[in-house]
Amino acid sequence: MSSKAAPRRNRIDPVNAGLNIWAILVYAFLFLPIFIIVVYSFNSGRALESWDSFGTNWYRSLVDNPVIRKSVITSLKVAVGATIISTILGSLAGIALARRPGKWVIVFMGLVFLVLVTPEIVDAIALLIWYVRIKGPFGPGFSDIIDSDLINYGLMRLWVGHALFSTAVVTLIVRARLAGFDESLEEAAADLYAPPGRRFRQITLPLMMPAVLAGALLAFSLSLDNTIISTFVAVAGSSPWPVYVFSALRAVLRPEVAAISTIMLLLTLFALSIVAIVLKRSGDSAEEVAKTITGAG
Amino acid sequence: MSGPGQDVASLPQPPVAEARRGRGLHLPRFALAIPAWLLFLFFFAVPVLWILYYSFGYKPSFLSGQPIATDQLSVSRYGEALSGTFFLTFKNTFQISVIGTFLCLVIGFPFAYWLAVRVDPKWRGLLLGLVIVPFWTNFLVRTIGLRIWMGPQGPISGILQDLGILGSPLDVLFTKFAVQVGVVYNYLPLMILPIFVALDRLDPALREASKDLGAGRFKTMRQVTVPLAMPGIIAGALLVFIPLTGDYITASVLGGAKGNMVGRMVADQFLTAQNWALGSAMAMVLIGMILLAVGLFALIGLGLRALVQRKRRVVLAEVPA
Repeated sequence: MSSKAAPRRNRIDPVNAGLNIWAILVYAFLFLPIFIIVVYSFNSGRALESWDSFGTNWYRSLVDNPVIRKSVITSLKVAVGATIISTILGSLAGIALARRPGKWVIVFMGLVFLVLVTPEIVDAIALLIWYVRIKGPFGPGFSDIIDSDLINYGLMRLWVGHALFSTAVVTLIVRARLAGFDESLEEAAADLYAPPGRRFRQITLPLMMPAVLAGALLAFSLSLDNTIISTFVAVAGSSPWPVYVFSALRAVLRPEVAAISTIMLLLTLFALSIVAIVLKRSGDSAEEVAKTITGAG
Repeated sequence: MSGPGQDVASLPQPPVAEARRGRGLHLPRFALAIPAWLLFLFFFAVPVLWILYYSFGYKPSFLSGQPIATDQLSVSRYGEALSGTFFLTFKNTFQISVIGTFLCLVIGFPFAYWLAVRVDPKWRGLLLGLVIVPFWTNFLVRTIGLRIWMGPQGPISGILQDLGILGSPLDVLFTKFAVQVGVVYNYLPLMILPIFVALDRLDPALREASKDLGAGRFKTMRQVTVPLAMPGIIAGALLVFIPLTGDYITASVLGGAKGNMVGRMVADQFLTAQNWALGSAMAMVLIGMILLAVGLFALIGLGLRALVQRKRRVVLAEVPA
């Protein structure tokens, strides 16, 4: 590799040079559209797509726009709920897959696979049909019982919708983590007379914690970014911010869309860097971190 | 845990056997996964089966106030979904996803090779992280970013006009071309990551051995690197092809009237046309199309592998006894 190439460094290798240029072009391709969103969020004009002059007026107007403010708050509420659901369900399923294997694993993994490969638009219309059919996520009448700012019908529809995909992702991450550790650690604890509850708390939980944390933060970012399922299942008055942006596309896009996107981008990147740091701390290689973060592990 | 110490035997025997038998005595092995089972069954499997059921229904008259009727079941919605402009959209979508997957591979492979083989390991983690950032930026926002670049008032149009290459504003937005660029952009990281993982796992000694045995650079690439990276290439192709075929957002942001895709067509039946039966039939055809393509892909892959293995079989010269 690089050490082998070292003695010939003074001669320019056309293949190497070509690869370097290619890599720069790919990075440019990947980053320019994000870069332009950040730049155009400072466009003071009325239409996002035609640059007028530099200004921070759209950031200031964000604060005054109750619809956007409400959509961001909804997004955060949805993300917290979906994260809690998918982290608990996914972790339990992950433990069962890693520690209680049997024939059921094939069926369950098949289901997880289907959840992951079904186009999101199909999931979205399926949920829409289903919610209309059963009148709410948990059947008729349920929405009348619980209706507050923190738990209500509109939020529940979104929690379930967002938790679907993230539960599958968390399940895979936790399973991969626990499969990497021999069950003998838990057996040793049993040998030392630790009761099951303590065994879980002192051995299994600390072992799986990085995966659970990574899974939770992934679920949070996935939910924060979800556009398609949200568009279909959100009820009027509690729609998350990507739905606001998506519906703005039908009219003229204003730079406030770029401003809110920039803020949410920073939030997502912050959450992801925490995931990366947590995984790195727990001894994963960069490659494993990447695999976990993309859910490809 | 128990070293070869002498006093181990004198300790009271821990209840290993009891503990082992005690676990899972009352509960089935999948018990912990039951909440996830329920979630997947009730909010994924059953609803998707419901789409299948609805796809045999029809759109009732406006007066009934219902978006769907299932008192008479028929397959005529499938006929409708596969005729006229709808069929054309299926064809265009298939074309966009095949070309898109191929372009992602052509762009992604050299990049993944560079990242896994040529980059100083010190920087590899950071550079890999940079590939993940766009992947985790909101899909919709990224696509809007691309739309600003390609728009008639965007920077590319401006530069080309200033240079005198274009006489009028750039006119690529809302075409099939724009959607094609959009999907390559949106799904490229999904191709790069698995190929990177496959190449990163590859022992550099294999490439060196190939070189030592007299193979040139391209022969090493063709006969060692690419075949060993095949699992990554296949994973990448699937990770790109499957979501790309069902893509809804890219065509909505960049496609306009000329660059439609199936995902958007399905969504329109539910959001605007209110023809749930037709939308459901289209969704089933979409799933069928993806499964068929993946199946074909797998068959071709297996066939190619069998062919290559037969051709490559090393026949040792028989040693006379």
